[in-house]
Amino acid sequence: MTNRRSGHVLLGINVLVLGYLPASWKTPLLKKDAFIDPEYWANIGRTAERGTLDAIFLADGPLLGDPAYDANPIRLEPTVNWGQVASVTSHVGLVATASSTFNDPFELAERLLSWDHQTGGRAAWNVVTTRGVPAARNFGLPDIPFRDDRYERASEFVDIVRALWESAATGRDIHHHGEFFEVEGRLRVPPSKQGRPVIFQAGGSPQGRALAGRVAEGVFSAELTKNQAVEHYRLVKGFARDNGRSPDDIKILPGLLLSLGSTEEEARRRSDELHDAGPASYSIGWLSQAIGYDASKLELDEPFPEDILRPLNDSQTFTGSIGFRESIITQIRKTNPTVREYLRQTRYTGSGHAGFVGTPEQLADHIDDWFHAGAIDGFNLQPDRLIDGLEVIADELVPILRKRGLYRHEYETETLREHFRAASPTPAF
Amino acid sequence: MTAPYLALGLAGPHLVELTGNRALLSRWDSLPVAFSVLGIDRVDGSAPAAVTLASSAVGATLAGSTKYGRFFIAATPQRDHPYNIARRIASLAHLSGGRSGLLIGVRDDYAPEGPKEAPAWGGAGLGGGAPLNAQTAYDAARAVRALEQSWPHSSIIGNRDTGILVQSNRIVHVDIDNSFSIAGPLNAPEPVTGASVIAWYAATPTDNPPVDGNNPIELVLGAGGSVPVVALGKEPPADDMEGVVLRADPEQSVGNLLDIAERWLSDRFAPIALGGSLRAALGLSAPAPLPPTARAAFPPPKPHVSLQRQRSHHP
Repeated sequence: MTNRRSGHVLLGINVLVLGYLPASWKTPLLKKDAFIDPEYWANIGRTAERGTLDAIFLADGPLLGDPAYDANPIRLEPTVNWGQVASVTSHVGLVATASSTFNDPFELAERLLSWDHQTGGRAAWNVVTTRGVPAARNFGLPDIPFRDDRYERASEFVDIVRALWESAATGRDIHHHGEFFEVEGRLRVPPSKQGRPVIFQAGGSPQGRALAGRVAEGVFSAELTKNQAVEHYRLVKGFARDNGRSPDDIKILPGLLLSLGSTEEEARRRSDELHDAGPASYSIGWLSQAIGYDASKLELDEPFPEDILRPLNDSQTFTGSIGFRESIITQIRKTNPTVREYLRQTRYTGSGHAGFVGTPEQLADHIDDWFHAGAIDGFNLQPDRLIDGLEVIADELVPILRKRGLYRHEYETETLREHFRAASPTPAF
Repeated sequence: MTAPYLALGLAGPHLVELTGNRALLSRWDSLPVAFSVLGIDRVDGSAPAAVTLASSAVGATLAGSTKYGRFFIAATPQRDHPYNIARRIASLAHLSGGRSGLLIGVRDDYAPEGPKEAPAWGGAGLGGGAPLNAQTAYDAARAVRALEQSWPHSSIIGNRDTGILVQSNRIVHVDIDNSFSIAGPLNAPEPVTGASVIAWYAATPTDNPPVDGNNPIELVLGAGGSVPVVALGKEPPADDMEGVVLRADPEQSVGNLLDIAERWLSDRFAPIALGGSLRAALGLSAPAPLPPTARAAFPPPKPHVSLQRQRSHHP
């Protein structure tokens, strides 16, 4: 690139309930049931808004993982959760994840548009297809549908939802007769201030990226290296162009796991303390889930066996995340660590999503670097523990980015779609 | 004779009007009624009005922007699943301090029916679904109740010494097998105010729920139930009754509804003290817990070991 990129980055927060590290609940800053306390959630919204952040994001799935040691599996329903937060905030965008597999498109379209209306046009739907047998068993199915079926269904599902949102504006019925769904009717919900919710897509499977290129306005991706991020950025923007869209119509925000401190040592100490206060089985469990292999069966002091690192034989029945697996395998192949070394090193480098441990100044350098390299439009930041980690972002990181001209001083737009459109355009590639 | 309580029935356009006007919201919030039904026209057989909002989206707004007002959201299994309904109900109860409840309906007057072979939930295209009838709605209510009870609130212990946040072995599967097959548990704990109140709408006595030995329905609205619905502009019935829902037509305004409600409250209806849970306001006792035979969802948690401590055993 010959010209330095202009405009500002997008900043979202992935609100992993209390934080991405399982020991987050142990801080005396939180009540034991903070995750269901309306004041906890209101504070998250208000703090994000103090930092003029673009959006706060909620992952979701209709199932419960074991919450014995970790608040992360606990899930309030996102449109209700963010609906309550919307009523105590005025500008921050609100991204809610909802499954295209375990919902009816008519009901979800009505619910999402209603919620968008209630937020004053600050809502986004993050489309996921949902993995895992426990979710299927809550809906009378023995297992989840194959990946291709889930994505074909997702594609049709999204088209119906968009058509129904359009019907709310035109007052005309839709007549959909597809492979998975039949819908005749229309929504009677008033269009929102931004017309309809923004659509997000999360994940890095080929099917997911194709769907994103066609319909998504935001992508929550997983990138461990800058080079890989640049490649995927161009790939997905290219898919948008192939679909007759402008690359600016789709904003790409990889996740970034964060531990921040006033010095690098302090940040590492915080990360170590939070990791050590949590169960060891957590990192092994997370790795198992991400790569679709029971990592507890691996020898901790041996390198990863080759058969785990090989390309997948059958992506249809693979139960992990293809995007996470790809970025993890790339990372392992680079240094060939033992399993224990890998688990230790990922404390600072992330696993699946990239990690960052350092000062707000260093984080601003990192954001600056990836932004100007054309790897991102912004980041979906994932603090180790939100109750104090989010304050550091709002009160320390954001002022540094503002000084560098990388972030706005106040909200200049009102709706989430306007926030996205006001961000930096896609650099030439 | 004890004076009956007053409640409000809001139709689709009222939901838009109420949530778009801070002064109205404040007036609504300070009215000593027992509850409001958010979108009663969704489940009472009315023709759809020009506009409406999903009831739970309105409930979420009220949870955050008001302090006292209690409400039922309306939902049906026509295009919705009990697991998804239970999630929204439990979430609303947590975020509203127990001011919320569920009015379960048989049909959704704002939604197209699902496929002929399974018009309830069959529209989700997952191969399941059920007939669109009272039994399906009743089964959905039973599932919602069980799911809300599947994770006892008291299991949240937050013991920093042992590292145990939740005694997760006390969380149970619900193993529902009626019109719906649901393993559970729900992914949120039971509200601290207990499982949400579930109401039913019966225009006539034949519309009453098909009650069995484990009835989750605690209140029946409409002429077939104990709390009749009276149209705004009409006089309340003279009979002895628990309460009355004053319902506005779509073309009548929320302001008009609140005017009449204020007048009735100063006259023949008993004001209900502001604040507190819907269950407490209605004087309803806590529902029976799930049977002790329910399957545990998780093994008993043990004090955990960190990777660092584990490392010291493997130098």
